[in-house]
Amino acid sequence: MISRTIALAAAAGLLGTAAGAQDAYRIGLSGALTGPVAGSYAPAIEGLQLYINRLNEGGGIDGHPVELIVLDDSGEPSRGATNSRRLLGQEEVVLMINASLSSTYAPMMADARRAGVPLLFAASACPAEVYPPAEPLLFCTTAFAARYDSQATLDFIEAQAGTDISLGLSAMAIPLSRGEIEAAEGLATERGMRPQAPTIVPPPTADYTPFATTISQAGADWVYSWAPWVTEVRTFEALRRLGWEGEYIAWAHLEAEGELARLQDEGFYAIGANSLFAEDLPVHQEIRAAAEAAGATYAPDQMAEGWIAGLVIDAALQSAGWPADAEAVNAAMENLNVDTQGLRGGPIEWTPENHFRATQYYRVYRWNADEGAIDVVQDWAAYTVE
Amino acid sequence: MQLVANIIVLSAIYALISCGYVLIYRVSRVLNLAHGELMMVGAYLLLMTASFTSNPMVAIPVAAILSLTMGALVYLLLMRRMTGESVLAAILTTIALGILLRGLIVIFFSAAHQYPAVPLGIHSSSVQVLPGARISSLSLILVIVTALVYASLFAFLRLSRWGLRMRAAGQNPLLAAQRGINLHGIYAMVWAIAMFTGSVAGMLISLDAGLDQTLIMIGLKAFPAALVGGLDSLLGALIGSLIVAAAEVLLIQYVNPLLADVVPFLILIVMLVVRPWGLFGTREALDRV
Repeated sequence: MISRTIALAAAAGLLGTAAGAQDAYRIGLSGALTGPVAGSYAPAIEGLQLYINRLNEGGGIDGHPVELIVLDDSGEPSRGATNSRRLLGQEEVVLMINASLSSTYAPMMADARRAGVPLLFAASACPAEVYPPAEPLLFCTTAFAARYDSQATLDFIEAQAGTDISLGLSAMAIPLSRGEIEAAEGLATERGMRPQAPTIVPPPTADYTPFATTISQAGADWVYSWAPWVTEVRTFEALRRLGWEGEYIAWAHLEAEGELARLQDEGFYAIGANSLFAEDLPVHQEIRAAAEAAGATYAPDQMAEGWIAGLVIDAALQSAGWPADAEAVNAAMENLNVDTQGLRGGPIEWTPENHFRATQYYRVYRWNADEGAIDVVQDWAAYTVE
Repeated sequence: MQLVANIIVLSAIYALISCGYVLIYRVSRVLNLAHGELMMVGAYLLLMTASFTSNPMVAIPVAAILSLTMGALVYLLLMRRMTGESVLAAILTTIALGILLRGLIVIFFSAAHQYPAVPLGIHSSSVQVLPGARISSLSLILVIVTALVYASLFAFLRLSRWGLRMRAAGQNPLLAAQRGINLHGIYAMVWAIAMFTGSVAGMLISLDAGLDQTLIMIGLKAFPAALVGGLDSLLGALIGSLIVAAAEVLLIQYVNPLLADVVPFLILIVMLVVRPWGLFGTREALDRV
């Protein structure tokens, strides 16, 4: 009798789960939750989870919860491919999300194309396919923008120091970082600056001093680094320990806010597309509160990318309506305008031709020693994405 | 002179890490492929002790003692079970241990990049060590610690009774056991010392440059240094580290920084082809691999 009761209860539970799943928008994420690069992606994934939890606690979208299935790929392409097949084949998601290394892009993109399911890049650099003319099904909310980032950085350096400077360049030995820094070398030459040959740092490196020595001895006045945070900041610290006194500008990854406060160096600039939590906007307070309530693993100031992805997914699913299939979600994403509530300099606008954003905004931050706080050195500068 | 300083610092890092590979192999003939992970665990133990006390004179010794204990426990609870099994089984066990430790670290400490130096109030300043050559104060400490560790190990192995037993166990375990040497005790001690030296390396690197899972890869990069010198020779680990570090630094400076990643393994391949037992290793040791 007891076993029969347990069996019935279990069956009822299964039916309940199945019914719940049928009533939910099912979306799936493959991301680097573990592995050497997890520190750059896991906080964003947690930010997205917090957003979705908060959305569901508020009743979901028109009464339908959003079920986010999160799978770990450790930043490995083979695991990314396995995850995307599971998400598409078994879980039947209407939207896939990638929050992992760029080496996982190709297999997930191929699977998304075959299945006709939209794929959103939400934590790593946006692939070329999302820029105009955008490829169908591929979208990106991440702050990075290849070429535009370097253009904005060089505009800032030029505004600060003119063009008569020796510019050191530092990248990590991964295709994306090298490509961007090599492009920056060309852009700097066009402006009349004197760029050094890029110093490419292999990951990981026990001691960054030998790399910093080459930059320092070449007499760099400014150094620009567009690489994973570890390369950017450790090269800078090694330069300072060599006694180098120049100015250094790096892409503001999610670690930037905490690191600016740790370094407390007025010669270290962080250029990025996200606002910092020091600004304490209502949306920052909201993220902080959600992180605190959930006992989050990562610092709230590292969750902006995930929260922005949440805002976009929320808007896309609302626009797609219920019942939503992949085709409806894709159609909704192709005509989307999402207010980022101050997390970015402007909205994320997608059209059938542009799956990145119509306008990219940049801000530059650095530590202000007098005030003991982070300063905005240059407020939002807008660049039209063409 | 800066190049000389860079070579000394990098070779000290590799030497401090690689002596753990050598100690375990020399005494128990096990290639410990979890050494990078154990080194990382040591650094995370410092992060943990730093969360309890901001006094580095307490946090660092406590973390070092915990590392020593954990090294012994790894042998007693895990590697001891491999006694009598093939060497391959023992090596595979160390690989499994490494994977397990990576996962546990993420669960307990998260994947975020962390700085044990911050709660401990340690600031790494710039120090002029040679005319025209500067390194960080923590790099200078690392060089001194490496010198002390090697001097202590040489003295321990040559002059102490336990060191003599350790060498005997490494050379002929059967005979050593027949002479009344407690092999399990010796092996537990060598695992403890290896984890201790690796942890010290991990702690000093993380105090200088922060801590995340990439520390494992740095542990792996020291492996060629140990093999080039000879897996059963401490002097070999020292010389091998110097060779690998010098090649790396000079190529970064004069040829192409990208070669820094490849060259240690290129030197390793050349050494395996020309002199497979390493510069100071013994042929007998290789045969047993």
